[in-house]
Amino acid sequence: MKDLFDELRSTLGHNKLRTSLTGFAVAWGVFMLIALLGAGNGLLNALLDSSGDVMTNSMAVYPGSMSIPYNGLKTGTRIRFDKRDINLLEAPAFKEIIDDVTPQVSVSDTIALGRESISVRLVGASPVLEDIEKIKIIKGRFVNLPDEEGARKVMVVGNRTASILLGGDEDTGKIIGREVTMRGLVFKVVGIFKDSEGEYDSTCYIPWAFMNVLKNGDDSLDQIKFTFHGLKTEKENVVFEDRIKKAINEAHLASPDDKSTSYIWNRLTSEMQTSKAITYIRIALWIIGLFTLMSGIVGVSNIMLISVKERTHEFGIRKALGARPWSILKLIIVESVTITAFFGYIGMLMGLIANQVMDSTIGSKAVDIGFMKMYMFKDPTVGIDVAIEATVVLIIAGTIAGLMPAVKASKVKPIEALRAE
Amino acid sequence: MLLELKDINKTYFGAQPLHVLKGINLSIGRGEFVSIMGASGSGKSTLLNIIGILDNYDSGEYWLDGRLIKDLSEKQAADYRNRMIGFIFQSYNLIGFKTAVENVELPLFYQGIGRRKRHQMAMEYLDRMGLAPWANHFPNEMSGGQKQRVAIARALVTHPDIILADEPTGALDSKTSVEIMDLLGELNREDKMTIIVVTHESGVANAADRIIHISDGVIGSIEQNRDHNAARFGSGDLIK
Repeated sequence: MKDLFDELRSTLGHNKLRTSLTGFAVAWGVFMLIALLGAGNGLLNALLDSSGDVMTNSMAVYPGSMSIPYNGLKTGTRIRFDKRDINLLEAPAFKEIIDDVTPQVSVSDTIALGRESISVRLVGASPVLEDIEKIKIIKGRFVNLPDEEGARKVMVVGNRTASILLGGDEDTGKIIGREVTMRGLVFKVVGIFKDSEGEYDSTCYIPWAFMNVLKNGDDSLDQIKFTFHGLKTEKENVVFEDRIKKAINEAHLASPDDKSTSYIWNRLTSEMQTSKAITYIRIALWIIGLFTLMSGIVGVSNIMLISVKERTHEFGIRKALGARPWSILKLIIVESVTITAFFGYIGMLMGLIANQVMDSTIGSKAVDIGFMKMYMFKDPTVGIDVAIEATVVLIIAGTIAGLMPAVKASKVKPIEALRAE
Repeated sequence: MLLELKDINKTYFGAQPLHVLKGINLSIGRGEFVSIMGASGSGKSTLLNIIGILDNYDSGEYWLDGRLIKDLSEKQAADYRNRMIGFIFQSYNLIGFKTAVENVELPLFYQGIGRRKRHQMAMEYLDRMGLAPWANHFPNEMSGGQKQRVAIARALVTHPDIILADEPTGALDSKTSVEIMDLLGELNREDKMTIIVVTHESGVANAADRIIHISDGVIGSIEQNRDHNAARFGSGDLIK
């Protein structure tokens, strides 16, 4: 074995150009593969992240305005949602699809605790909102049914809000049970929820009953949210959305065909679209990965072919001196495996470094789209297992590709090999 | 007889089939120094390749040391070449990225001899060629005569039955040519080494004890040359 490696050392050492060309082909193949897979994963992770903490089966309905004059009402007449619209959605007609319905109303105001005060968005919440919005309570509880029915003065605040009110104290749990004031009203903090990743959420939840007071008797609703079940396809969803719009049009005396009296954001279909996009990206990644791998293999076998051709005369000398075909074959294979393994390893390291670079530059840059921050790239890396697998596949494939010219070289008659130059 | 050829025929099948050897009969005994002489295209190199088991033949029989050399597998042929035959080529055929001593070691490597023993044996033969100080030099750092002496050391190191030399002085100047031929003659006289030299130069052929003239694939004449002056003025149509 030591002899074989001595042989290898002297061969590779004196054929630096050939060695480095082969090495480059291999290293480049592995590098590209890992860098591409990493970038693809970054894209996927970002997509999964942006759709991650939303409950799947829910819709939000927003009021719009009329686009068709109807029943003496002009174009542009604003639609106003109130309690009757909730009743509409809770009606038996929608019973087999719609589960929980909750109104949402918000006002901006300032709340204070001792000397600290902060401007927040107050949302009137009913208990079901916790599930619909997937609010993560980290301490205490969310607004519950007794709060709502008894119109208790309770409040649930975000993690950061709590910290600010406590004068910067990171131990936000201390705020539970404290009383914050707003417009002369005193609310007791009963729970803290986790702000969504890396951003400040100024929302505070209070029982729904107080919103009427805070909005000075205005009982209009910003939006109505509800959960539903049983809509499997995008088409079923669209048909159901149309049914809701028609019902709203009827209740608000608008034309049955008016599409702009309400807007619906359906989380299920948007998630369906995201998952479809993810599937396409996955397929694209696979194809790109396979083609990259293939070009790497072609590169390796190409160089092997040239290398074997270039060495035909040398093999002729070796054969004349008594080298058996197998020993020639062994020489080529060991050389090919050593080169591909060594440079494959280097390519793998470079690829992993490239992933880290991507991660620390574009990976951490969030795009601010107003109401929330979005990552275009998140964690653009591949697992070490995938990296090793890809490298091993390339080494094996490269060797198999190099085998054909090697077998041919080992079979060439010595007299022909000696004639080659 | 160490080596016997009986009615050897060889045809190269190309666009135009070429009948290169047309029934060669030849016997060479152990310890002989023979030269095969002929013009280019006479078939002398083909004959040498067949004797060296580098090439096969179409019909006839070739016996080497009592063994019929016919239809051998590549592996068998390699083993016979390794143990029984030492080659000396016109263009030396040293491996460029190996040092002189590594080149000499190579046939021993294929015999599976350990590295230390191999090195010792190779050094011994290099020393005999007067090249011990050059052992760690690469072929491109040596003169033609030195390279050919490395090649001779490589041919001798396995103690073969025959040394086959194909135009061994073809790439050398006349002074070095004489030295190399003297060296081969010495090996024949002192080590009783069987040597077959293929050449088209009568001066080179003259070093041998027997000169076999070959033309158009048949043996023309066999000349005894014990006094080494028979071919001074050539023989037949070959005049130097």
